[in-house]
Amino acid sequence: MLRHAISLFLFSAALVCAGRAAGAEASYVNHLINKVGQQKLHQNRYWHILLHYKKTLFGYESVIDDPRFFLAPDGKHDPQAELAATLRAFFSPPDDPANPPVCRFIARYAWLKEQLGFDEAQLALASCRKFEKTMEVIRPKAATIIFPAAYMNNPASMFGHTFINIETENRSKLLSHAVNYSAFTTETNGLVFALKGLSGFYKGYFSILPYYEKVQEYSDINQRDIWEYRLNFTQAEVKKMVMHIWELQEIYAYYYFFDENCSYHILFLLEAGRPGLHLTDQPNQWVIPIDTVRALQDDGVIESADYRPSRATKIRYLAAALDRQEQKTALSLARGAIAPERVLQRDISLRDKAGILDLATEYLQYTYVKKEIPKDRYTALFLGLLQARSTLGKGAGPQHEPPAPADPEKGHESNRVALGFGVKKGTWFEELRLRPAYHSLTDNDAGYERGAQIQFMNTVLRYYSAKNDVQLKSLDVIDIISLSPRDLLFKPFSWKVKTGFRQQLMPDGRDHLIYQLHTGGGYAYSNKQLGLYYGMVEGAVNFSGSFKKNYALGIGAAIGLKKNITDRWTLLLEARSLYYGLGDEHTTHELTMKHNIALSAKRSLSWEVSRTRTFGIYQTDVVCMWNLYF
Amino acid sequence: MKKILLALFICAVACNLAYAGPALKKNCGCGMGSILFENNDGLMSQTAAATTNGLFGNQTFGISSGTLECNQPEAFYGSQMLHRFVAENMDSLAKDISRGQGESLETLAVLMDVPQQQRGEFSAKLQSNFSRIFTSPQVTEEEVVNNIITVTKTA
Repeated sequence: MLRHAISLFLFSAALVCAGRAAGAEASYVNHLINKVGQQKLHQNRYWHILLHYKKTLFGYESVIDDPRFFLAPDGKHDPQAELAATLRAFFSPPDDPANPPVCRFIARYAWLKEQLGFDEAQLALASCRKFEKTMEVIRPKAATIIFPAAYMNNPASMFGHTFINIETENRSKLLSHAVNYSAFTTETNGLVFALKGLSGFYKGYFSILPYYEKVQEYSDINQRDIWEYRLNFTQAEVKKMVMHIWELQEIYAYYYFFDENCSYHILFLLEAGRPGLHLTDQPNQWVIPIDTVRALQDDGVIESADYRPSRATKIRYLAAALDRQEQKTALSLARGAIAPERVLQRDISLRDKAGILDLATEYLQYTYVKKEIPKDRYTALFLGLLQARSTLGKGAGPQHEPPAPADPEKGHESNRVALGFGVKKGTWFEELRLRPAYHSLTDNDAGYERGAQIQFMNTVLRYYSAKNDVQLKSLDVIDIISLSPRDLLFKPFSWKVKTGFRQQLMPDGRDHLIYQLHTGGGYAYSNKQLGLYYGMVEGAVNFSGSFKKNYALGIGAAIGLKKNITDRWTLLLEARSLYYGLGDEHTTHELTMKHNIALSAKRSLSWEVSRTRTFGIYQTDVVCMWNLYF
Repeated sequence: MKKILLALFICAVACNLAYAGPALKKNCGCGMGSILFENNDGLMSQTAAATTNGLFGNQTFGISSGTLECNQPEAFYGSQMLHRFVAENMDSLAKDISRGQGESLETLAVLMDVPQQQRGEFSAKLQSNFSRIFTSPQVTEEEVVNNIITVTKTA
């Protein structure tokens, strides 16, 4: 049945060059082009989807940059000329008979044929053998959006990556085809990559890999949990999508980290499958991968969500089921300090034996991937552990799959606007905060990493009505914190980096705007009663014309605690002292307490109290905010 | 030097020519411990060269053998996809077989056309014969496939 459908859908493509007189072809093409004009097909949304056209101030522009994607010289900007050129190419003898335009642009062909009712006898058409064979192998059945969650200890990865899995009939998920759009570069310098990535220096291409390779990459190597959102696309819709993916082979579009990124480009694929979706029409803004998923959820496209825990998550889960002594045994096993047989001989339950061996195995793999042990040692230990494990038989195993945490799609949205009021030195003020992205430690962390914060352009404005004075309280260009708790098995480093403008109290007793770069590094730990607590050594450099020497450079330390008092109520406590020994010498001490109560996924109420001492002057600041996420 | 070049060439072929360029550092997937070490973060792909060789063709299962590097098993069982899957998922598969359960093991059953109702028995048999399948740390993909076939055939 399927094979039949495929052959049908190949539009009986095995038509051979009709060898017609060029004149007859030309007149037929002109007839079709007239028809296009009458039907205004070049203004049809599906044409715009297939060519990735977006409206601009003066007309249209395709976000695809590769000239080979267009058949008209100005195809990037002219939908009508491109359509006419496409028809001409379809009905002319191909330059490359092995790969004629009809086969290269097979989704365009299928759609135009449907719209215009081609007389295929007029076609100079070879068979699309390659495409046909590929479809027989892929047998596209269903589609899933894959969203790898944030890296442990890398909040920037909250921006994540998204790709589409094309699932094949009757096959395991691991064998599905992962369709990615990614930047092509051999750049290994992260900073250079970031800068160039932001400004569109890299060509992005689509690629396809077996899904198990992506699972290895994300779950096993990068320790990222994966969410799989199954789409309710019909088989026909998936096929339309695959046809469009086929057209994008070897075609590039410049990669822009924030807007024209992986998530954005795959939206066109989804629209090609189901043109009723309006995913790329959103006003120009940063495309945050999880927002893509949310948009799909809003459109009712997502059928179900599956969770695929990373290796690190599995290790934590397995470890939690064991006591400390057993965890240590597992660690010794993974290091080869004791033989697996010793565990088998112990007088403990089968389940515990399996648990210890499984933890040791996962941890061993983790250390191997981290390149902490050489391959021959790894394989020998690995095989020894598995041999021991296989003697325990079925049913001994603990439940290996950690339960799914809150779905990231259900977490708060990325934009935040907040309104509130407060008091400082007896003066009341109103406060407005705008934060385009993304998540702070005090925002409700359901669906987010507990210890991660990443904020861009977080802007705080204050209005002192008594003085009729508007003040830019702070503008954090970048504000990142990564708190990763250390335990017996994992020893990550916690860090922070923040830069931007803020008001600072100066010796004249007044606030002045300074520019600050503030970083820190240290350790975090976690405990059921206390929550997540940390200590960091910090450094800061401040610049301002209000300093006598125009700058101040300081070092110091901070300790802090983040506790989720309930699922909705988050508390953040922090104490910090910085001694500025270079430039304008001074010290700052600050104590802050922040509470946030989520009223719903979209709203929260927060209040913050801080007490600071700068240049010997004390100040207390109290503010109460109402936050809206959208 | 010639040998190294030849080895690299074979590796490139085995990994499907698509991976040829920057992916040479990739272990082609024969034997345990074969893990992709390229640190792709998804945003930046150093193997995107793969894409320029055509999206579907070379990377699609079954079109070309992914395991030329390893000699073809004597008892050629099932599709080339089975061999490629075993070669590229050796560690997960070994782990699943030792535990008698798991996604890689299920995928193996799918690729070997084991009927649904026989999969429990299939897994149990492989688990209890673990040492006969994964005979040494140096065991190759072809040996594993052959051993699995032998084990499943014996009652």
